[in-house]
Amino acid sequence: MIPGKYRSVSGRAANNVNCGLHLVIQTSTLPEKNKTEFRFSRDTSPFPGRLLQHDLERNYSSRQGIARDGRVISPSPRNKSSFISSTTNVTELYGLDMKTTTSSFSAFGDCSIQTPFKSRLRQGCHSAGPNVSGDHINLVSSSLPSFPILQRSSEEKSLYSDRLTLERQKLTVCPIIDGEEHLRLLNFQHNFITRIQNISNLQSLIFLDLYDNQIEEISGLSTLRSLRVLLLGKNRIKKISNLENLKNLDVLDLHGNQITKIENVNHLCDLRVLNLARNFLSHVDNLHGLDSLTELNLRHNQITFVRDVDNLPCLQRLFLSFNNISSFDSVSCLADSTSLSDITFDGNPLAQESWYKHTVLQNMTQLRQLDMKRVTEEERRVASVVAKKEEEKKRESQKQSLLKEKKRLTINNVARNWDLQQRVSNNAINADRKDCASPPRDSCQLDGSTTSSLPAETGSLDSGLTSALQGLSVTDTHLVEIEGDTLSLYGSGALECLDRNWSLQTAGMVTTISFTFIEFDEIVQVFPKLKIKFPNSLHLKFKETNLVMLQQFNALAQLRRVDQLTVDPQGNPVVNFTLWKYYVLFRLSHFSMQKINGTEVTQNDMIMAERLFGILAHVASSELPQYRMISILGDARRKQFRYLLETKGKKPGIASEENNDSKRVMGENTNRATLNYTTKEWHNEKLEEIKEKKKFCQMYVEDLVKEATDINMKNEALQKLWPQMFIELVRDAVIEIRNKNTYMKVCLQQITDQK
Amino acid sequence: MLSPERLALPDYEYLAQRHVLTYMEDAVCQLLENREDISQYGIARFFTEYFNSVCQGTHILFREFSFIQATPHNRASFLRAFWRCFRTVGKNGDLLTMREYHCLLQLLCPDFPLELTQKAARIVLMDDAMDCLMSFSDFLFAFQIQFYYSEFLDNVAVIYQDLLSGKNPNTVIVPTSSSGQHYQRPALGEAGMLEGVEASLFYQCLENLCDRHKYSCPPPALVKEILSNVQKLTFYGFLVALSKHHGINQALGALPDKGDLMHDPAMDEELDRLVVRSRLYRTPRQHRGKEPGVFGFQRRGKLEALERVPSALAPTPNLYRWEPRE
Repeated sequence: MIPGKYRSVSGRAANNVNCGLHLVIQTSTLPEKNKTEFRFSRDTSPFPGRLLQHDLERNYSSRQGIARDGRVISPSPRNKSSFISSTTNVTELYGLDMKTTTSSFSAFGDCSIQTPFKSRLRQGCHSAGPNVSGDHINLVSSSLPSFPILQRSSEEKSLYSDRLTLERQKLTVCPIIDGEEHLRLLNFQHNFITRIQNISNLQSLIFLDLYDNQIEEISGLSTLRSLRVLLLGKNRIKKISNLENLKNLDVLDLHGNQITKIENVNHLCDLRVLNLARNFLSHVDNLHGLDSLTELNLRHNQITFVRDVDNLPCLQRLFLSFNNISSFDSVSCLADSTSLSDITFDGNPLAQESWYKHTVLQNMTQLRQLDMKRVTEEERRVASVVAKKEEEKKRESQKQSLLKEKKRLTINNVARNWDLQQRVSNNAINADRKDCASPPRDSCQLDGSTTSSLPAETGSLDSGLTSALQGLSVTDTHLVEIEGDTLSLYGSGALECLDRNWSLQTAGMVTTISFTFIEFDEIVQVFPKLKIKFPNSLHLKFKETNLVMLQQFNALAQLRRVDQLTVDPQGNPVVNFTLWKYYVLFRLSHFSMQKINGTEVTQNDMIMAERLFGILAHVASSELPQYRMISILGDARRKQFRYLLETKGKKPGIASEENNDSKRVMGENTNRATLNYTTKEWHNEKLEEIKEKKKFCQMYVEDLVKEATDINMKNEALQKLWPQMFIELVRDAVIEIRNKNTYMKVCLQQITDQK
Repeated sequence: MLSPERLALPDYEYLAQRHVLTYMEDAVCQLLENREDISQYGIARFFTEYFNSVCQGTHILFREFSFIQATPHNRASFLRAFWRCFRTVGKNGDLLTMREYHCLLQLLCPDFPLELTQKAARIVLMDDAMDCLMSFSDFLFAFQIQFYYSEFLDNVAVIYQDLLSGKNPNTVIVPTSSSGQHYQRPALGEAGMLEGVEASLFYQCLENLCDRHKYSCPPPALVKEILSNVQKLTFYGFLVALSKHHGINQALGALPDKGDLMHDPAMDEELDRLVVRSRLYRTPRQHRGKEPGVFGFQRRGKLEALERVPSALAPTPNLYRWEPRE
C-alpha cells in the first residue's frame, strides 16, 4: 500500500453524502446517524425497490419530456430540488399505487415507512447535513506523480466514518485513500477520473459512485466483494467486463456509456436494477442468470430486437423507449414473461403503428402500465376484441397460405412420383430393348399404385368459385384445382375428378384444362368424359404428359372442340419434332384451331400442314380396304357410317338437323378418321385378342389347305390313271360285243329274266 | 400357280413358301374380326377386296407390325406406302431426327419397333451422332435395306464379326495393293473398323448365306457387283453401298429410283386438290348441300361417298398398280 509518509493531512470528513441515499439511510436507521445500515432489501413483494431515485426521475422526466436518463441515485445537492419535486410529482401521479408500494419503498433499507413520503424526504435532506465541498478534504500531492493521497481529519472520520464524498474535485485519478478500510460509501461524482484505481483496499465498500467521469474500462473492482451499488453512468465504457467478483451487486448503472452489447452479467444473480440507457446497444440478448433483476432500463439505444427477456423471472419494469423496434415480433419474447408489469415502447417505430397498443396489450395480459399509463380494463377489452379480429384475419390468411403450401407440396409430391415412374418405365423400356424378341411392352403400369382418395370437399364447389383462387381438393398423389376458367389436374389420380358431379355452372365456366404429370395414355381414356362434363373446354394444356409420338395427337380428334393447344416441352418430347405443329393442324383441322403453344395459326400453316400430310389422309381414306376401314373406325363412327349406308338413297334435306351436324363433323373428318390413336395398353390387349384368333385361323386354314391339297392330290392321281382305265374299259366292252349273236342272246336272256 | 417350281414342292409347302397361307390366314382372321359388318356386304366381296388390297399393297396400312413384316410383299408394300405418304415431308426439304422418322413410321404402323428405325439410322449416321438430322432419301433407302433384308443383315453382321475376329483362316491374307476405287465411308472411319474385312472372302460367305437363307436376300449378282469394286470394306460400308445401290432398289421394287423419289404426279395432283379443299374449309363453313355419293359395293367411290366435297367425288385416280418383283 501507500507508505505512511505520503498520508495527507486529514481534512474534514466529507459529509456531503448522497442525499437520496442518505435520506433512506436516515429513515431506515433510526437516531444513530453513524450506524448506517446498508441492508439491502431482498424483498419479493410485488413491487419492491420502488424507491430508486432514477426511477422517480425517469418517471418525472418522461412526463416532462426531458431526457434525463440514468441519473441514478444522484446525491448531488443540485439535484435535491428536482429530486424532491419529482418525488412529489410521482407521489401525486401514482396516487393509490404509491400507497401500496410505500411499504416496500426501500431500495437500500428494509425500513417500513410510516410517515408521509414528502416529509420524510425533507427530513432526510435536512439530516443529510450541510453540503460540504472539497475544502474539508486535504488532498496532498504525493511525490508519486499522479496519485494524491487522501486523508481526513479524525473528527470527520468519526463523524462520517463509513462514507466519503469526493465530488467535483477535478480529480483525474483516484486518490490513495488510506486508513479508511471501513469505508462503505465512496463518491467520485463529477471528476475526470479515467481509471478506477487505488480502492482495492476498501473491501467493505458497498456503494461506489463514479458518475460523470472519463472511465474507459471497468477495472480495479475485483476485491470489492461486498459492493452492492455500482454507479458508472456517464463514462466512456465500451464493454461490460471485470464484474466477475461482484456477486452481491444489487444495482448496476451503466447509462450514458458506449456499450454495444450486453455481456458478462450472467453471474449477477442478485442484481435487481440494471441501467443501460443511452448506450449503443443494437439488440437485447444474453440475459440469463439475472434471476433477481426487477428493472431493466434500455432507453435511448438502437435496439431492434429483444430476446431472452423471458428468462428473467423477476423482471417487472422494462424501459425500451426511444429505440428502433418496429415490429412486435422482434420483441415477442416479452409476451412470455409472466412477471413483467410495466413497459415502455414510446419513441419506437412500433409505437406509431395503429395496432401498437392492442397488440401489446393482447400479447402481454399481465401488463399494468404501458408507456407510463395505467392499462385500463376498457383498453384491455378493446385490445382483445381487435386482437380477436386480427387473429381471425390471420387465421384466414394462414389458411390460404396453408392451402397454397399444401398445393405446392402436393405438386412436388406428384412430380416426385412422376419422376420415379418415368425412371422405372425407362428402365423397363431399356430392359425391353435388351431382349429384342419381345414386342415393346407397356411400361407405365405403375400408375395403378398411386391410389388416391378425394376429400369430401366436393359439395362446396360452386360457393368457392367466387374467390379467385380455390384449391378444391388436395391429396398427396394428385391435385385438382379450379382457378378462374382453368381446371388444372396434377397426377393421374386427378383424372378421377371427372367422375364427380360438376355443377352446370362450374363445368360451363371451365374453358381451359391443364394436365400435368399425367401419362397421356391415361388422359386419352377420359376424353369421352371430358367431352360430356366440360363441353366448353377450348384450350388444352399438356405438361409432363409423356407425349412422344405424333399419333398421340390423333386422340384429340375425338373431342368436341379445341381452339387452343399448349404442349409444354417439359416432359413432352414430341414438341422437339419439327413436324408436330403441322401434324396437329392437319389431324385436328376440323377444329379450326386458333393457337398452338400460344402462336396464332395462319392460313399458310394450314396449307403447309395439308401439303405435308394430305397424302397420308388421302391414302388412308381412299386406299384402305373397306373391311379395314370398318374395323378401324370406332363404334361411334361405325354407327354414323351405317347411318350413311342406310340413307344413301334419300335426299339430304330429309336428314334432321342433328344428323346434318353429325355428318358435317363426319364429312370433315372421314379422310383422317382412320388416323386414330390407341393407347399402348389397349393396343396390346387387342394384339392378345388377335393372337387367339390367329391361332384359330392358322389351324383352320391349315386343315382346309391340307384337305384341299389332299383332294387335289387324289384328283391328280385320278387324272393320271384315267386314260389307262378308259382304254381298259373300252377294251373290255369291245371284247364283250365281239360275237354279236352271242351278245344279243345274252342281252335278251337278261331282259326276259328281269320280267 | 403354274410356275414350274410348283411341281418341285408338295402343295402345302409351296403355298407356305409363297406366303399364300399367310394371307389366307389373315383373311380369315380379318373376317372373324369384323364378321358382323362383313356379313352385311358379302363374304365373297370381302375376299375379293382382301386379295385385291394385297395385290395393291394397301393391305398393310395401319396393321400391326407382326403382319407387316410377315412377308416380303408386305414389307415392300409398307416401304412403298411410307414413301407415298411422306414423300411430301422429304419434298419440303425438312431434315428430321431418327425419332421423328420413327413417329412417321408409327403413323402407319402403331407398334413399329424403335429398334429397326435405330438400325436404319445407324446406316446413315455414326454411332455417336444418332441425334443428327437426316434427309428423307438417305433415311428411306437405308430403312429399305434394313427393313426388307432385316434377317439377312443380322446374319451378315454375325459373319462380319466372325471374319473380323479371324475365325476364318483366310482372313490373314494381306492385300497387295489398294485400288483407287476403294470405297471407304468417311463417316465410319472408326479406328477399330478402319480396315474392315476382305471383300472377296466376305462375298463367298454371303453367297453361301444367300444359298441357304430362307428369308429374302439381295440378288447375289448385285452383291458381287458391290463387293467386287473394293478390296476391303466395313460392315456399315457394305450396308451403305447396299442402300445406295441402284440395282438393289430396282430389284426390291418398292421405291422409285433416287432421282424420281420426289416424283409422283398422280399424288401431287391429288394433293393440290386437297389443299384447295382445305382452304375452302378455312373459309366460313357453309353447308354444302351435296348429296353423299352412292356408296356401293363397288370399289370405286368407296369412301369418297362420305366426303361430300365435289372434288373428292371425282373418280379415284388410277391406283398405281405395281407388282413386287421377287
